[in-house]
Formats: sequence, C-alpha cells, structure tokens
Amino acid sequence: MPHLKDALAFARWLTGSRDDAEDVVQEACLRAYASIGGGTVLRPRAWLLAIVRNAAFTWMAKNRPKWLLASGDGTEMDRLAETGEASFTDLLTRTPEAELIRKADMAAVREAVAALPVRLREVLILREFNDLSYRDIADVLAVPIGTVMSRLSRARLLLAASLAEGCRD
Amino acid sequence: MTEARLLPEADLMLVNALADGELDAPSAAALERRMADEPALRQSYDAIVATREALGRLERPAMDAGFLDRIGSVVGAFGPDAASARRPSRWKADWRALAASVLVAVLVAGSGGYWLGTNTMSQQNIADLVASSHRRSLLAASPVDIASSSRHTVKPWLDSRIGISPPAPDLAAKGFVLVGGRVDVIGGHAVPTLVYRHNEHLITVVAEPAGAAISGPRDSQTDGYNMVNWSGNGFDYWAVSDLERPELDGFVARYIAASGAGKNDQSSSTIAQ
Repeated sequence: MPHLKDALAFARWLTGSRDDAEDVVQEACLRAYASIGGGTVLRPRAWLLAIVRNAAFTWMAKNRPKWLLASGDGTEMDRLAETGEASFTDLLTRTPEAELIRKADMAAVREAVAALPVRLREVLILREFNDLSYRDIADVLAVPIGTVMSRLSRARLLLAASLAEGCRD
Repeated sequence: MTEARLLPEADLMLVNALADGELDAPSAAALERRMADEPALRQSYDAIVATREALGRLERPAMDAGFLDRIGSVVGAFGPDAASARRPSRWKADWRALAASVLVAVLVAGSGGYWLGTNTMSQQNIADLVASSHRRSLLAASPVDIASSSRHTVKPWLDSRIGISPPAPDLAAKGFVLVGGRVDVIGGHAVPTLVYRHNEHLITVVAEPAGAAISGPRDSQTDGYNMVNWSGNGFDYWAVSDLERPELDGFVARYIAASGAGKNDQSSSTIAQ
C-alpha cells in the first residue's frame, strides 16, 4: 500500500499520538474516497497527505480540544511562524552550535519536535519524515514555496536552539 | 552558543535549501564559496545538518499488524475473516466496499497518476454512456475528430490531445478499416476513442485507462446496439456497433489478437500486426 505509510507517519508526528494517528488516517481514507468522485489526481502522495492534514485538524479539534492549544495555534509562537514576522529573530540571537545539538538524546529530540508550533511542525515533518521536496510540501499545505522555505528554516532554528539549550542544562 | 549573530533570513533559507538538496548546481557552488569565507554561514549549515541528523536518529512509526488489520478489515483487502481484526472497525459494513475502492484507486493513481473516477461508476452506467456517445457520433457530421486510416496518425493525435492512446491495429486486411479517432467524455473524463468501419457499419472502440486487470470479452446489448467489454493493455475497452453479434465479436477477437491484450503495457505503441 504505497502512501499509507507516509500518511501514518505524517499523522503520527502531527497528532503526537499513535492511536490518534491511526484514527486520523482511517478518517482520511474515508475522505479520500468522498473526494474521488471525479477528476485527475496527478500527485497522489501530496493529495493524500493534504487530506490527512485536514482530517487531522478537524479530528483533533473535535476529539482533543487541548491539542490545538498545545500545538500553539493562535499563540505567540504560531504567529511567529508566519512570514514577515521580524520579532522572530529576537527569540534567537545566536546560531546554536552543532556540537551541542549532536549531544541531544532521542527523547529530547522527540519532545522538541512536539513542542514546535504546528505551522512549523507540519513543514518539518513533511520534509524530514515524509522526505517531500519543497514543491510537494507547498502542494500539501497549499502555500507558496517561499513560505515553505521560511517556515522550515524557522522550525529548524527553533529545534536546534531547544536541543542545544537542553544539552547545556 | 557562540558569538556569531543570526544570519539574515534570506541567507538562512538558502543554507536550508542547500542542506535539502534543493539548490541548483551553480547556486549551490556559489553558496559553498560564500560559506568558506563567512563562518556564520558555515555554522548555520552545520547546525542544520546536526539537527537533521538528530531527527534521523528517531524511530520511524511502523505500520504494526494491528493497524494493518484495522485498515485491512475496513477495505477487505486481507481476506474475508478480517472482521476479526484486533481493533474493531468503526465503519459500518457498507463502507467497506467504498473504502476498498478508495485504496484501489489510490494504488492506481500511485502507479500512473491516472484519474480515479472509474471505480465509482457502474459498468451499466459506462455502457449507457458509451452507447449514447456512439449514437451521437453517427448523427454528427463526422464520427471522428481525426480522420485517418493510419494508426501512425491517429495515435499521436490522441496522445497530443489527452496524453494517452490505445493500440490502433491495422485490421484493413480483415475487413475492418480504421476511420480515425476522437475524444469522448465518459462520466466527466476525456477518453480516447477509435472508430473502425466494416462494410457500411461503424464500430466505436472506447478505451478507458484502467488497472492491470485482464478480463473478458463480455457481450452485452444497450439501446439496441451490440456491445463487447474487455480489459487488457491497461485499458478497459468498450466496442459498440450496430453490426451483427458474430461480426462484432469477430472484430473484437481480431483487435485483441492484434493489440496483444495479454500484455499490460499502457504505453505500448508497438503493435503486433
């Protein structure tokens, strides 16, 4: 089953829970069917992942009301995810050092990913865990490539800073 | 942390693109030259690479048996006893057939990017549409959009119009002359259509892109027209004509023999004569 594994990986990192991810993917398959009605699907993987994403947001909003809050939706960090937010750089004034990042253990990495604002996290997941190109990520999220690049670089910067910081403590 | 200040965002995005292999060769070379001179650039790049490595160490979520059972029970793809999956399905039984066609359609799409609607239309719907398209073509000024008895003309024309063309074997020696081709719209999709002539009767052959299945031929009758439906070469074929049944069956047999319907090569343009 091509794409099912991608769908599950995306949902897993997006929701932060294996059980929720499985429910979301099942729901996404149902929606995929409903939207098939007619028309061409030229990029089936991006298409399915976009459906998974929508399914995740509505499913989590309905069943895990705290998830959106914890994911930073509507918070300061989420606004920072938007392009053109100059104050973002105030948060990070120095480039984290690679040596410190390398010392982070797996649990710390997992937590740091989960702590990212959802707008940044989804870009990072699609790039690192689904191995999508910038073009495909732009397709899934329906945003320009420039936005993908900006969010990805911010996601990695935040992640790097949080990993490096964790290792200094 | 070091004393190096953060890079301007544009530079940061460039360095990320380099780490992701998204830069073309000249841009990548230019950036690497800059990195040699600017420690801040190099440091950002190293941080990105280290971050990616850290993420790469994380385990990937596996599709465990429980999940596959669950999806399997939903799509019925893992046998009839899949209802005993470890996790109970939340979908009603009615949904299983629907879900099965989703996954089948996704598989079809994954293998070639073709459209997905055909699974949702019943064979009878398609037969009706094919028959009415045949009838319209008889009423039109010309039954074809490209008139040519040469498959070397018809196939490229169809390819250029909708990017796909079925085998168009030369059956003139058998009494079936290629008249030409046209594009029909069946269920909202553009499909390639060939027209052959036998004596004064026209035969419409509609070829819908399909999966790898090989089946048929199956005879049927719709609106007074004789029809034959079969699958092979990556297409679902419908032949419709007012020819007598034995003659239409004879045409289909020759078409299948000449187009090598035992193979499943949709892009095959070499046709056994």
